[in-house]
Amino acid sequence: MTIKALQAVSVGRNGVGAFVLQCKKMDFHYCDWAGSSRGMNGFIKSLLPKFAAAHPQVEFTVSPRPSKHPVIIAHYINGREKAVCVRNMEPYDILKKAELLRDASGEKLRRVTKPVQSVNESVRGIWSPYHGNGMRV
Amino acid sequence: MKRLRVDRWTGQLLLARPGACPASTPRTALRPAAASRCAAVRTRSTRAMPEIPTDEDYADGTDHTRFPPLEKLPPRATSLPSPPPERALQSAKLAALHARLSLPEKLPLQTLARALVDNSADENPLFNNTNLAFVGQSLIHYHVAEWLMCRYPRLPMEILYAAMKGYAGPAALHHVARSWGLEHAAAPGGEVDPGLLQFSLHKPGNAIVTLGYKRAEAEGLQKYKWRHGISSRVVFDDDFGQVVETDKATQLRRADTEYGNEYTRSLAEKAYANCARAVVGAIYAHAGREPAKAFIRSHILSRTLDLSALFSFKKPTRELALLCAREDFEFPIARLLSETGRLSRTPVFVVGIFSGKDKLGEAAGPSLEVARNKAAMNALKSWYLYSPGEHVRVPSDMLAEDAQPWTPAYIDMGEIIGR
Repeated sequence: MTIKALQAVSVGRNGVGAFVLQCKKMDFHYCDWAGSSRGMNGFIKSLLPKFAAAHPQVEFTVSPRPSKHPVIIAHYINGREKAVCVRNMEPYDILKKAELLRDASGEKLRRVTKPVQSVNESVRGIWSPYHGNGMRV
Repeated sequence: MKRLRVDRWTGQLLLARPGACPASTPRTALRPAAASRCAAVRTRSTRAMPEIPTDEDYADGTDHTRFPPLEKLPPRATSLPSPPPERALQSAKLAALHARLSLPEKLPLQTLARALVDNSADENPLFNNTNLAFVGQSLIHYHVAEWLMCRYPRLPMEILYAAMKGYAGPAALHHVARSWGLEHAAAPGGEVDPGLLQFSLHKPGNAIVTLGYKRAEAEGLQKYKWRHGISSRVVFDDDFGQVVETDKATQLRRADTEYGNEYTRSLAEKAYANCARAVVGAIYAHAGREPAKAFIRSHILSRTLDLSALFSFKKPTRELALLCAREDFEFPIARLLSETGRLSRTPVFVVGIFSGKDKLGEAAGPSLEVARNKAAMNALKSWYLYSPGEHVRVPSDMLAEDAQPWTPAYIDMGEIIGR
């Protein structure tokens, strides 16, 4: 036998082919009594039904958390979760926070310095000092 | 440390009801007198307590006045091995999964729920995903195989098997199912959410979702590493050229011994892979051929696999010489193209392999021998990985109604060295 096969597993690239929204679940916690939840209660009454209907791919839960600040917890496909405290916020500010959590990938926030990250190999190839005419010093 | 006041506990628990008191109510008014605490709290509640079921179905020793059931389960749901199909319509997870995968409207939630029940959880084939998974794996293997054969017509059989496994093997499909955001239940049962994948780690399940024959010499192949050629693997073994395993008894004994061992991990991987296959099978059953093909293309074939990393050559120069002899090329000759630092600690030699005036391959290496071998490998890879194009047509494209007339696909004469 001259050729043997090595084993490798294909790597998924979200958005090439199918796109799967990475946020899979959002929990909205509120308190009936506390004043910091006033905006959250208004959001749940007025804006959340429309937001939830627009995103059928996300599971929504609304649950009370008495004597605590209101919070939105988003769960992601990679297993991580992100929580945002929305105390004393207006309903439309809370909507912005919910959209932020929806659009997040679930990865830890890190600074992106390279404009493009890709698993494809470079079309130009890697520069080699042994090819071409070289440079006269 | 403060003394625990047990007599207060019940009152607090009873106060924590779903509809809490309005903010205007003074807190002191809510605090009942110590003597009639428990009785008073119930009468002051602004909302009725959740209905307490009295059926004998719920008589499992739980005090329902303190722990009301979250969801009203159908009678005797806890004794079933998997959730009843009608509960699928109430599951938020399942509806979210359906929308997340953009599944066709024709695919009902009940079928999707059935695709999530592994045969190790429920052995009844009317309620588990074995049938759907079998259809799904046939479709996946068909589409992956035809795409690989049309896109890379010169792949040797070993590499084709490895590529098949890289795209459609259990590990790859496990990753696919995970990337859909699937979660699994801790243990299967009738009371768990139908949107969770259900499989059991304590029994492997006996359903067969792969094609292949049981070899009479399977034990010797495993124990003594008998040689088995590629021809017999094509005939007997499964679609990845692997011997079909039938002896589960020894593995079964291992399953319960330790938590999270290699075998339980493989069981979980198998369950996830079967679920991905079953979803494809369900799409085919309800929506038809084209949506199933589009789903496979977008979720499985769109993944990246570097085929050139699958090759492992033993004697590349000899194989290249045979190739040139077969194709009537001139005998391949290695020539040194450039070098630097021959006497230094890190020399670099660039060697090209020429057949007459044509350069077949080129590579750089730290010694002449390594560079020549690498150049021969590159030449062979560029032969084997020939591709007619990225958007090559496959035979299943002809099944569409408005298909253009078929132009024959490129078919190679075969491998250089037969085995």
